[in-house]
Amino acid sequence: MQTTHPGVGSEPISMRFPRIFPRPKSDYGIWSWISTVDHKRIGTLYAVTSFLWFLVGGIEALIMRLQLSQADNTLVDPELFNQLFTMHGTTMVFLVVMPLSAAFFNWLVPLQIGARDVAFPRLNALSYWIFLFGSLFLNFSWFVGDAPNGGWFGYAPNSHLAFNPTHGMTYWVIGLNILGIASIAAGLNFIVTILNMRAPGMTLTKMPVFTWMTFVTSVLIVLALPVLTVALIQLQVDRLYGTHFYNTAAGGDPVLWQHVFWLFGHPEVYILILPAMGIVSEILPVFSRKPLFGYTFLVFAGVAIGFMGWFVWSHHMFTVGLGPAANSAFAISTMAIAIPTGVKIFNWIGTMWGGSVRFSTAMLFAISFIAMFTIGGLSGVMHASVPTDAQQQDTYFVVAHFHYVLFGGAIMAIFGGIYFWWPKATGYMLSEGWGKANWLLMLIGFNLQFAPQHWLGLDGMPRRVFTYAENMGWENTNMYASAGGFLMAFGVLLFLINVFYSARKRVPAGDDPWDGRTLEWSIASPPPHYNFEKIPNVEHRDDWWFTKHPELIAEYYHDEHEGELRAPSGAQFDDDVEDEHHDEHTSDHHGDDDHGHGIHLPDMSYYPFILALGLTIVGAGLMTIIPVIIIGVVILLWGLIGWSMEPVNDPVPEGASHGH
Amino acid sequence: MQHWLTPSNFNKLALVVLALAATSILAACSPEHPQSTFGYGGPVARDQGDLFILIFWIAVAVFIVVEGAIIYAAIRYRRRDDKIPKQVHGNTKLEITWTVLPSIVIAAIAVPTIIGIWEQQRGAPTDMGDVLEVEAIGHRWWFEFRYPNQEVVTANEMHIPVGRPVNVQLASQDVIHSFWVPKLAGKIDMVPLNDNLLWFIAEEPGVYDGQCAEFCGIAHAHMRFRVIAHTEEGFQQWVAGMRTPPVAFESGSPEQQGQTLFATHCKTCHTDDSWRQDAYSLEIQQQDSRWATWLDDIENSRIVSAPNMTHYGDRLFLGAGIKENSRENLIKWINDPNDIKIGTSMQAHAAVYQERDDNKINLSSQEVENIADYLLGLVPGDIEQLAAPQITGGTPEERGEQLFVSIGCNACHSLDADTTIVGPSLIGIADRAGTRTSLSAEDYMRQSINDPAAFIVDGFTNSMVVPKLPASQVDDLIAYISTLK
Repeated sequence: MQTTHPGVGSEPISMRFPRIFPRPKSDYGIWSWISTVDHKRIGTLYAVTSFLWFLVGGIEALIMRLQLSQADNTLVDPELFNQLFTMHGTTMVFLVVMPLSAAFFNWLVPLQIGARDVAFPRLNALSYWIFLFGSLFLNFSWFVGDAPNGGWFGYAPNSHLAFNPTHGMTYWVIGLNILGIASIAAGLNFIVTILNMRAPGMTLTKMPVFTWMTFVTSVLIVLALPVLTVALIQLQVDRLYGTHFYNTAAGGDPVLWQHVFWLFGHPEVYILILPAMGIVSEILPVFSRKPLFGYTFLVFAGVAIGFMGWFVWSHHMFTVGLGPAANSAFAISTMAIAIPTGVKIFNWIGTMWGGSVRFSTAMLFAISFIAMFTIGGLSGVMHASVPTDAQQQDTYFVVAHFHYVLFGGAIMAIFGGIYFWWPKATGYMLSEGWGKANWLLMLIGFNLQFAPQHWLGLDGMPRRVFTYAENMGWENTNMYASAGGFLMAFGVLLFLINVFYSARKRVPAGDDPWDGRTLEWSIASPPPHYNFEKIPNVEHRDDWWFTKHPELIAEYYHDEHEGELRAPSGAQFDDDVEDEHHDEHTSDHHGDDDHGHGIHLPDMSYYPFILALGLTIVGAGLMTIIPVIIIGVVILLWGLIGWSMEPVNDPVPEGASHGH
Repeated sequence: MQHWLTPSNFNKLALVVLALAATSILAACSPEHPQSTFGYGGPVARDQGDLFILIFWIAVAVFIVVEGAIIYAAIRYRRRDDKIPKQVHGNTKLEITWTVLPSIVIAAIAVPTIIGIWEQQRGAPTDMGDVLEVEAIGHRWWFEFRYPNQEVVTANEMHIPVGRPVNVQLASQDVIHSFWVPKLAGKIDMVPLNDNLLWFIAEEPGVYDGQCAEFCGIAHAHMRFRVIAHTEEGFQQWVAGMRTPPVAFESGSPEQQGQTLFATHCKTCHTDDSWRQDAYSLEIQQQDSRWATWLDDIENSRIVSAPNMTHYGDRLFLGAGIKENSRENLIKWINDPNDIKIGTSMQAHAAVYQERDDNKINLSSQEVENIADYLLGLVPGDIEQLAAPQITGGTPEERGEQLFVSIGCNACHSLDADTTIVGPSLIGIADRAGTRTSLSAEDYMRQSINDPAAFIVDGFTNSMVVPKLPASQVDDLIAYISTLK
């Protein structure tokens, strides 16, 4: 039915374009991974890749901590140190927290909204491959000895050719632009998926909070990444072709770079933290056996944070000299953003309050998230106060602050999410014993590393210094911090041990090991490739929970008016729409009740991989090697044309069942 | 069975751990540390610190409430049985409360914040004393300080008087730096093409540590400086010293040989004589042209912007504040700057380093020592030491002439009508002196010796330093000066 649209299925256009490789059919082997378009497999690819980068970024951090553990240390030279902190920041933001979040988006969003895949499965695969190649390109710079060295913020004119003549920052601008394409494509994909592919009855106000936060994050990605792209292209043409956007000698204004970078950079902070907030909002209710407290407030607070996140960027620039009027305005907007953040924290505590709290590893991570994120939020309010920030800006106080937000916050939540959804994804449990040891070491190590850095900053230690003199009084504190770093690393090692240990033990998880609340727990673990045999009809928030406990429905809706309203369902699933339009890309169709037989999912495809490869080679070629650009363009066009002419599903051979 | 960890033991252990933690935290926050933001040296840093403390205690209160609630909820509502708790979906009143309460707390922080911004970011107040204007320019990787009203240029050590607001105009030529002296004031960036203002007051004389706080490249960590606060008198003396020629070196001495070497190899980039008349504007022009020359051909330039070396012998530190300015360190530095501080432009560009493959200096060790001795010998001619020399016998004019040379008047005042060293030539002063002010010629000369600032001849600035002379010697001087025709 899907493949017989006029002009598509009946006449196999794809056959006119020569195929170099046959379209893969097998579910096994490396080729099945390279050509997969299954959101779950892509999620796994994202998770594994970005976790490997997490280890790389962590090793970079450990080398820096070793260097700083003593005054006047000479373990690493200053150039290498600058490369380490540049790549640590770039890696953790663009290659770890963003794609690890993307791993969760991929795995969970279709499962949570009752869909069989994302809206554009091949585009989804393209996002992953571009991310992979982009990240490899960025890190390739290590092997030529020219890793980026201008900071993850790449301030002009220090990133300009006159002051930074090595290739490092060129790798950085091109690498980030390649990664930006991946993020924007993924962002669009999830916006369309969430808006259009929700199961019947799942109105926006019944959507799981994780999906909500994915939606807000995706909107932020689609709006924020292009801003970065503009800045990067400007810097790129400055560096490669001698333009003057940020060439101060020719009148280019370095403050412009800061505005553009942070106009991206601050929404980026929320791109990093909102998915973590979503994860925690799923874990807390399950292990408190209680619905999320104040769902509407919490979702609204998330949207408010996403919106207000656009009006605070200049708080990264309080010492740039924008003048008292601008600084006052941005101080107030920054402080204001603490209000919806506070609402979220109180609502999470409200969720535990009066519940039945079970301390699983996932829950311990989630609780730690609230506790640590609160500390990061409080120090954030301190920077919002401009006179106070004048002493804190560019010191270790700021380093402590954002690690409390991004490690104590985002990474803690992500680990919680891994422990929480691991059984769903693999079908077996992670060991709780190893898990708790993992949690405890990470929590203690993290605090030992970053709490003292508050003092270091207040004691006058600037950031991004490769060493410091011994009479500054910073030695002991740095020693604690370094010890904490290694303790934390040991905690991560326990996680790896746990993964291997649990993979050997294979304690079966069952479909719903935690007494879950959302739709993903209603299907098998691991889920079949089509996810849902029968697309569920959603009636409530936490629909699966109330399916299991119908007697609790009345109690939940007690005194809430909203539950009585019949809100319209997701647009695509209105009955009249259903019969007329079909989503060519996914063949996801709600309301199937044929128990998995003939469920159409898109066939596998090589072209996303090829297109991503071509794109990355073009990027590499931009480092002024013309023949490489040509090779890249050829591969890119091959991928592009092949993709355009490839039907979603190959025509079914004669005699075989046509599905419906 | 004896358990090591009994409840009472545990309490003791907890106390010890707490005490250790508290001491280490307090030690870490010690205001004595060179860059502690709590070691207030003046009102700006104190206001900023006080605001921090206010927000800190508010944060502590919120911290206790929130973390307490988390721990309480986790323990109080831990799972004890299989019962499903009440399915509460929320509580609008409660949620509005915890939206409004933080708003009030935020407002309480916002008000002093805004007041602080407007106090600190609009330049030095004029009602707190005579404002000293200083221009600070960030270079990779050192600081240049210019005093436009005193016509003084120096590097890496900024001298100021206590008790007077200092208005620092911040600029940069190359990349973004940040000017930060934690004990005096929070930082403000030095941004190319975007000049900024920062002001502070130092209350006590002393040396305050500062450091660049914006990542500016390979030697960012080694871009430090000092602010040296003097009493008003000491500051005026420093200014006068900076306008005074250095003590003369004996011909053939190591210092004098070093002077020649310096002139040959170093002086294109390092000015060492900004005490001269008109040297200030000349130095600014020269720094601009050095910068332009470097920018014009970054790879091959043999000229770079470089710190002014006038009266270098008085500096406390070398290499932008990273090492003590000792003879030993200075010789090491001149030999191979990279060994002390990576990435200096000097080593990367100056011909005397580029001539060798290993980029060490292309001079003998004796020559390097001579340069070091010369630089360390660059101190203002110390008039105090020569004060009131015992000169007897002869006529007043003869005694005056000896005095004129021995206290160094001739270093600045030439005895040739067409030559100006620093101050005006004194030829024919007896004729002019009576016409300058309402005073008689003799009284005018007496006033100019005792209080040089009282009247300044057009086209000159006051940088004259005179030792305290007994009245009889002043008379001798006047007698001598009056003979100069």
